[in-house]
Amino acid sequence: MSERVSRVPEGVDTGKPSAARLYDYLLGGGHNFAADRALAEKFLRAQPNARTIARLNRAFLRRAVLFMMDNGIRQFLDLGSGIPTVGNVHEIAQKSDPGSRVVYVDFEEVAVAHSQLILENDPRAAIIQEDMTRPEAVLKAAEASGLIDFAQPVGVLTVGVFHFVPEKADPASVVAAYRDAVPAGSYLAFSHFTQDLQPEEMAGIVEVMKKSQNPIFPRTRTEVEGFFSGFELTEPGIVPLPLWRPEGTNTDDPDKAGIYGAVGRKP
Amino acid sequence: MELPELAARWMHALTSTAYIPLSYAEIEQALLDALARLPESPESVADRLVSLHATGPDSLRATIEVLSPTFGLAPLARLSSAYAQAMRMDAFDQQEQIKVAIVRAKQRVERTLKVSQARFREVFDSAALGIVITDLTGRCVEANDTLAEIVGLRSGADLTDRDLRDFYHPEDMAALGASYRKVSEGHLDRFRDQRKLVRADGEPVWVHLVVSVLRDADGDPTHHVTMVEDISELHLLQRNLDHQLLHDSLTGLSNRQHFVSQLERQLDGTPITLYHLGLDAFSVVNNGLGHETGDKLLKIVARRLTKLAHDKKAVLARIGGDEFALVAVADNVTSTIVEIQDALGEATFVDDHGIALSASIGVVDRPPAFVTAAELMRCANAALRQAKARGKRQWALHDPHDDARRRGKYALASSMPGAWEHGEIEIVYAPVHDLETGEVLGAVARLHWDHLSHNDLMALADSTGLSLPIGRWLLREACAQAARWAGEFGDRAPALHIALGALQSRDEDLVADVKGALDETGLPAERLRIALDISSVLAGDDNALVLHDSGIVTALDGFRGGHDELAVLTEVPVRSVITRAPAPAPGSRLRRAMRDLIATVHSFGVRFGVDEVHTPDDAEHWRSAGADGVIGLLPALSAAEVTALLARAASPPPGAS
Repeated sequence: MSERVSRVPEGVDTGKPSAARLYDYLLGGGHNFAADRALAEKFLRAQPNARTIARLNRAFLRRAVLFMMDNGIRQFLDLGSGIPTVGNVHEIAQKSDPGSRVVYVDFEEVAVAHSQLILENDPRAAIIQEDMTRPEAVLKAAEASGLIDFAQPVGVLTVGVFHFVPEKADPASVVAAYRDAVPAGSYLAFSHFTQDLQPEEMAGIVEVMKKSQNPIFPRTRTEVEGFFSGFELTEPGIVPLPLWRPEGTNTDDPDKAGIYGAVGRKP
Repeated sequence: MELPELAARWMHALTSTAYIPLSYAEIEQALLDALARLPESPESVADRLVSLHATGPDSLRATIEVLSPTFGLAPLARLSSAYAQAMRMDAFDQQEQIKVAIVRAKQRVERTLKVSQARFREVFDSAALGIVITDLTGRCVEANDTLAEIVGLRSGADLTDRDLRDFYHPEDMAALGASYRKVSEGHLDRFRDQRKLVRADGEPVWVHLVVSVLRDADGDPTHHVTMVEDISELHLLQRNLDHQLLHDSLTGLSNRQHFVSQLERQLDGTPITLYHLGLDAFSVVNNGLGHETGDKLLKIVARRLTKLAHDKKAVLARIGGDEFALVAVADNVTSTIVEIQDALGEATFVDDHGIALSASIGVVDRPPAFVTAAELMRCANAALRQAKARGKRQWALHDPHDDARRRGKYALASSMPGAWEHGEIEIVYAPVHDLETGEVLGAVARLHWDHLSHNDLMALADSTGLSLPIGRWLLREACAQAARWAGEFGDRAPALHIALGALQSRDEDLVADVKGALDETGLPAERLRIALDISSVLAGDDNALVLHDSGIVTALDGFRGGHDELAVLTEVPVRSVITRAPAPAPGSRLRRAMRDLIATVHSFGVRFGVDEVHTPDDAEHWRSAGADGVIGLLPALSAAEVTALLARAASPPPGAS
């Protein structure tokens, strides 16, 4: 089926697990279905540390948003935002500065409908239903939302999403397109599954997800570094999530995090 | 333990069990507040924990572990049970929320589908194209009204559950079936075709088809979409154009081109007869009564012949202005000819003129199976010419032997200009012998090509219009050669005799041509003898007189001894006559008559020569009958051979006769 035809919604099937609802479940959320939980159980068998990893990823998102706000960013583009769950970007940002603006981007029907419910009464946040690997369409819609001013620095958030993008979709050029669309002083927050830390568990995750709607493609540190082409990495660079600007004393084992995080700044 | 220290420990324990989207300081403060309320209201603490999202699988255990040393069992039991209740309520809320989201998502999907279905419906219903969706067996699932109209049904619904193949033309069934299969098997994305469908009333309808396949979510083919454009109007227009190309606009009959192709189709071994009709004296009608009357008459002829052709199941065409052709399964030629003449001969009143027509008819009956249509048309035409030559209302059967002879001649005539151009036609010289002395009187310049005699060649040249240029060429070339011989051998050189064809003999430029040739080549006039075709003199042409006045000796060729010829000899100053006749054998009565004729010619002061005398015996017969000279005793020689002969000759021949 061609791309054009697939723009017609494929329908809503709660019998098929989704990565967004799996993530929600691992975070202790209730926005999920039996199929999601069944997949989560398999996921947990492959990687018993999965709940921690989910928590670390969500915490990284929060710290990255706050880091960007410390650096003057007041508008965010959250790519692949998924099911609104605990600690959404607009909640974090607006708690710090109520004028902050957030555009979420997701393609999955339920995630989008749910986001609309949450955002119904928030004029400074919106959800765009679009495939985030089509930057042109996303950027056009983001501009049309009136919430993002591309003359001002933008915080681009791609937290735990690019490991769902296969190499054939050329993820590096997707990131580059967003980089080129934002002005100097913009930031990119990026987290990504890696096989560097727990190769065996990661292989298990890849296997579990292979047959789902959202197969996973973990990448090495070098590959992750490639996504930051045209950005300056902020301290501490690309590290396992617990080591990225931890709050207080970190008690999580970085070697069991399974996921890299980093924030880059467009010079 | 102090409460703040307890809060800090609690915070550390909780944050490793769940993600709480707050700073550690904020969490610690929230937990400190909770600790203060715990003894009185453990339920509010439970609510707070859940609202903080301290809801990991191990969050409650971590809480009890941290708090149990400080607080008693009772408040912690209440906290636990309130926590479970709050978790339940929270889970319900979240499930509620996600269900609402799902309902909305579904509604949106349905709305989008509805919009897209509405768009499709609009296209489907209002399209000028017929559209039908069929399952893979060909059963119509849905069709629009346009298609129904094309196939002669009332509405698209009438097509539902019908087999679309019922509407294919039987001839197209196999080809269309194969094309549909190619599409559903994925060999083709779609195919386009121009085919006939059969309407409900049995009438064929020409259509353009575009067929593509619909696939399900897994990419497997489920249905075909067939779009149908009715092009029969276009088709009719096209057919009309074809008709105009193949038919005569005046009579509506097939034209020659169409007839030839129809004739070709009949050449399948069935014995046939081809009639080629030429209306007799039709130009008289056209010129005398006007073309409009002529056209009306042609229409009437066409109608009558059409009826005849219909009765005989023959194919009829108008293949020329006043020519028609008819091809029928072989039957009795004579009776058909009578029927044709009867049909034409019935008096016709056109614009108050009563006209009865007849036709000359060329017939080719039962030709061999291998001939081509073009060949047949040519044969019929040849037979028609023969019939016309015999007069009106005649018919002639094509005679293959006669035809071969004519064709041989025509083929020769048509290749003659090329032969001349390529130098294949030569000039040869035949000696003229004096019968009395046996001496050579001169040389006759003659054309030589492909075993044809000079006279045949000249006749052929006359039929192609080549005789004048070739005659002038002969005159000039021969004069030049004779002048060279005269220059080289003086009086020993032979006098030049040239016999002209009938056309050149009458040519008004002849005298100028002869004088020009003499001037150009320097040949003295007294060394040239010109033999004119006697028919020119009989027709009153004065070339012989003018040549004589110019000092050129002339002869008349083709003398037969007729009264008119003898009369001419008394009027026209010629030196000799030349005849072609069998040698008068001694003792025959013919010989006596010939002697008398020769004596008569002599009495006019005219010498008597004979051409085509090939044996010494014949020459002797002619000599004894009184003739003066003969041509043909020795074979003609090329100019070079004559030159060699002259050079070797010991004794010079006499320069003049």
